[in-house]
Amino acid sequence: MAHYDVIVIGAGNGGLASAATLAVNHKKVAVFEKHNIPGGCGTSFRRGRFEFEVALHQLNGMNTKERPGPTRQLFRKWGVEDAIEWIPIETLYKINLPGGRGVALPADKKKACQLLCKEFPAEAEAIRRYFQMVWKFNEEIADFLAKSAASPANPSELKKFITKTGFPKIYKVLARYGVRSTQDVLDEFFKSRELQLCLSAYWCFMGMPPERFPFSILARCMYLYTVDKPYYVRGGSQVMSQALMDTIRRHGSEVFLNCGIRRILLKNGRAVGVEDENGNAHYAHKIISNVSPTITYAGLLKDEEVPEACRQYFKSYTTGISALTCFIGLDCPPEDIGFTDSFNLIYDSLDANQDFKNAYFTNTKADPIVATCYTIDDPCVSPPGTSIITAGTLKYGEAWEKLSPEEYHRTKYEAADQIIRRLETRFPGLREHIEEMEVATPLTHMRYLGHPGGAIYGYEQDLKSSVFFFPQDEFIPGLTFSSGWVNTCGFGPNYAYGDKIAQSILKEGR
Amino acid sequence: MSGKPIKDMIIGTMRNGPETLKELEMAKKTGKDISQERDVVKKKVAQYHPSVLHLVVSEIEAVSPIAKRIRLVSEDGYLPPFEAGQYINVFCEIDGVRTSRPYSLSSSAKQRAFYEITVAAVDGGFVSGYLLQCLKPGDRLEANGPAGVFHYHPVFHSKKSVFLGGGSGITPFVSMIRTVLESGEDREITLLYGSRTEEAAMYHEELSAFAKKHSNFHYTLILSDEEKEGMEHGFLNAARIQAHVPDILDCTYYLCGPAVMMEFCRKALEELQIPGRSIRREVFGTRRDIWNEPGWPEGMTGEEIFHIQIGEKQIEAKSGESVLTALERSGVRVNVCCRSGECSLCRVQLVSGKVFTAQGALLRYADECFGYIHSCKAYPISDLELRF
Ligand SMILES: Cc1cc2nc3c(=O)[nH]c(=O)nc-3n(C[C@H](O)[C@H](O)[C@H](O)COP(=O)(O)OP(=O)(O)OC[C@H]3O[C@@H](n4cnc5c(N)ncnc54)[C@H](O)[C@@H]3O)c2cc1C
Ligand code: FES
Repeated sequence: MAHYDVIVIGAGNGGLASAATLAVNHKKVAVFEKHNIPGGCGTSFRRGRFEFEVALHQLNGMNTKERPGPTRQLFRKWGVEDAIEWIPIETLYKINLPGGRGVALPADKKKACQLLCKEFPAEAEAIRRYFQMVWKFNEEIADFLAKSAASPANPSELKKFITKTGFPKIYKVLARYGVRSTQDVLDEFFKSRELQLCLSAYWCFMGMPPERFPFSILARCMYLYTVDKPYYVRGGSQVMSQALMDTIRRHGSEVFLNCGIRRILLKNGRAVGVEDENGNAHYAHKIISNVSPTITYAGLLKDEEVPEACRQYFKSYTTGISALTCFIGLDCPPEDIGFTDSFNLIYDSLDANQDFKNAYFTNTKADPIVATCYTIDDPCVSPPGTSIITAGTLKYGEAWEKLSPEEYHRTKYEAADQIIRRLETRFPGLREHIEEMEVATPLTHMRYLGHPGGAIYGYEQDLKSSVFFFPQDEFIPGLTFSSGWVNTCGFGPNYAYGDKIAQSILKEGR
Repeated sequence: MSGKPIKDMIIGTMRNGPETLKELEMAKKTGKDISQERDVVKKKVAQYHPSVLHLVVSEIEAVSPIAKRIRLVSEDGYLPPFEAGQYINVFCEIDGVRTSRPYSLSSSAKQRAFYEITVAAVDGGFVSGYLLQCLKPGDRLEANGPAGVFHYHPVFHSKKSVFLGGGSGITPFVSMIRTVLESGEDREITLLYGSRTEEAAMYHEELSAFAKKHSNFHYTLILSDEEKEGMEHGFLNAARIQAHVPDILDCTYYLCGPAVMMEFCRKALEELQIPGRSIRREVFGTRRDIWNEPGWPEGMTGEEIFHIQIGEKQIEAKSGESVLTALERSGVRVNVCCRSGECSLCRVQLVSGKVFTAQGALLRYADECFGYIHSCKAYPISDLELRF
């Protein structure tokens, strides 16, 4: 009977990050992963001469070796910074507006601001004010976090201070914009819908339309991606996942692949171990679930083991969005079909909120399209003279779950065909250069991730369920969570959160 | 105010804060209970990709002197949908060794009452011999799949398909042809089937009858070892493809058959300047004489014996046999599906030692950085230490 300090269920980004920090700090950890390869979302697959990245678009928090951002610092701590080739990206994203107009935003505050002022001269003043506000917003967050961290043992100190002075007085910008939607804030600043679309892009990283996307996450993304620059990784996210798995093993801890967990074992209401799919029990002082809380509570525990308060608590969280993605290998370089920037958001109308409503259906006639050409970030990503593009839209799983098996393949190809047709109006010749193509639907994501609805970003992250309200409360002693379900999703945030969870376990142990 | 948690207190003072808190309270009242999610994902995934297919043999019938079609029904009545051209990987235990082999489904994808596979005898074949000689109706088989990417992809394949099949490589085409013709799909198919003799050609009658009945299906049997009236004699070469396919640049080509024939057809298509993107291939396993493959270490015969350390276990392995075969032979359980290097299920870490990697192993970049191999396509050429 094996006994560990910590058991981690799932080798996704959150699970690997927690396990790596614990292992590096001499804890005996066992990670159990049901798939044959580590990474969860952070993985890739091969078709013909191509290797397709599944999830990573742009990594944040890297910055340079000399001025390491938080993500780079973690990889340094885990001892694998130099095992990976990091590739900086100079452009944040390109917004492709209806009618063919395109705006590519440089990853530099001044340049981005200048470009937008040039593109939208009537609103130049507002653009400058907006950028100032976004930066101030982030400074206030940094200050607030520093103050909270300085008195963790005594929150009442902070509380007294805030009560006395009043939060809005100390943190003016935070108080004004901290719990508002992106659309709401952009409407306050700008008239032009086109300009708004040029600034709201990151909504697609969280799967919430601008009218529900918390402005505070947009402001964080804008700031962090600009300051630390977006990065890509040679070989894709699978390289990071594998590097983390090897770190864990190198420090004497275990990663068991092809070994799903079917139950969490409780003793007197406390999580004490797990049972794997072969019926073997493994025990530990602490269990970290990298699996969604939904599946953890409703799949790995019995109904009667889940406290009523827990069920009540999760009622306000709804399963998030999934995606329909076309993984495309072309037999020509990107410039042959007019692809110039790596990360593209493509709108065929100016009403992103309305277009987003199509996410509840299987067809892709109106949805904004996200298209990434990895070849532009890293020309070595596929053989010379070829290129890789992934193009897709965000889709809720429900409509796909309702399909009968007979309808599935046809529906999937129709949706993909519609995306290609729409892309071809901007990138003529795209279809005839396709050499390989795979289509992933919400059901594909459900299969590989095991998430309800095939969700790729966890629960819906609107104002009431993210930022201040992530479902981080714990209900079963000994059981905690580390994943994009309980925290901002994305690679950088999940590595950071995984590390944070590990740090708190290390502290408990002392 | 001081009784409230600090978070709520702060948010209450922010713009849109009180409204957000109210919304949260509402959502708590109306939301769905997570206990309703129990098994939802599991059941949905199983509808498309059950972890194991429990099959029962319902019928066996010869389709040539060396091949039989085997009809399989599901033990619980449910078979997942597949795309014509895909395969299932059939498990069996022979002489105490648990192994598996992929077989293309040859039945129409438009019905799921049964699956049909067609197994041809391979000289000295371990599993084909067993399936052909020992299997009988009523027997149970486990399988995984359906899987594979050798199928029509409407988004980028031409509606005009050219199938170039050789020997048992006809099986996926039989499924594709049945699927298209039975459902009246708007597609045009030209099949050039290379066989040694007319007798050895599988499904010849059914295919001929289809060709008579359907104007969008053209079928030519090409015999290499026999001259017969009304049939072509020779090999599947460029001239022949050109003769049977009017608009050669407008088609998608699908190749399936023995390695030699595949190579021959590849060259023919190259000669005809068919772009690579219009050519799809399915290779039925790795060549048996791996030591004749380009890159095989000079001086090695395929008979050398090496030791493989895996966990606590040490086993013997022959250089001419895949690492996967060696592991299965000694009772180590390995995840597998395609057995042809594509799916990565058989991936293991090569801690030390050297392997020869056969053609067609679709490794990831990370595998090469961190030393992982696909055991079905890796041959030991030194003592090895492996880790799952
Ligand atoms: C995707 C896929 C689909 C397949 N579909 C079919 C099918 O529909 N019908 C069918 O009969 N077989 C099919 N095969 C081949 C089948 O899986 C087995 O390889 C075959 O039955 C031989 O297995 P065996 O155990 O009898 O031979 P083994 O004991 O495995 O020995 C045969 C050896 O020769 C190689 N070999 C296998 N087949 C051939 C061949 N035709 N010519 C030369 N060498 C060969 C094998 O890789 C092995 O090294 C398919 C293979 C793949 C990968
Ligand atoms: S079994 Fe598919 S790669 Fe080896």
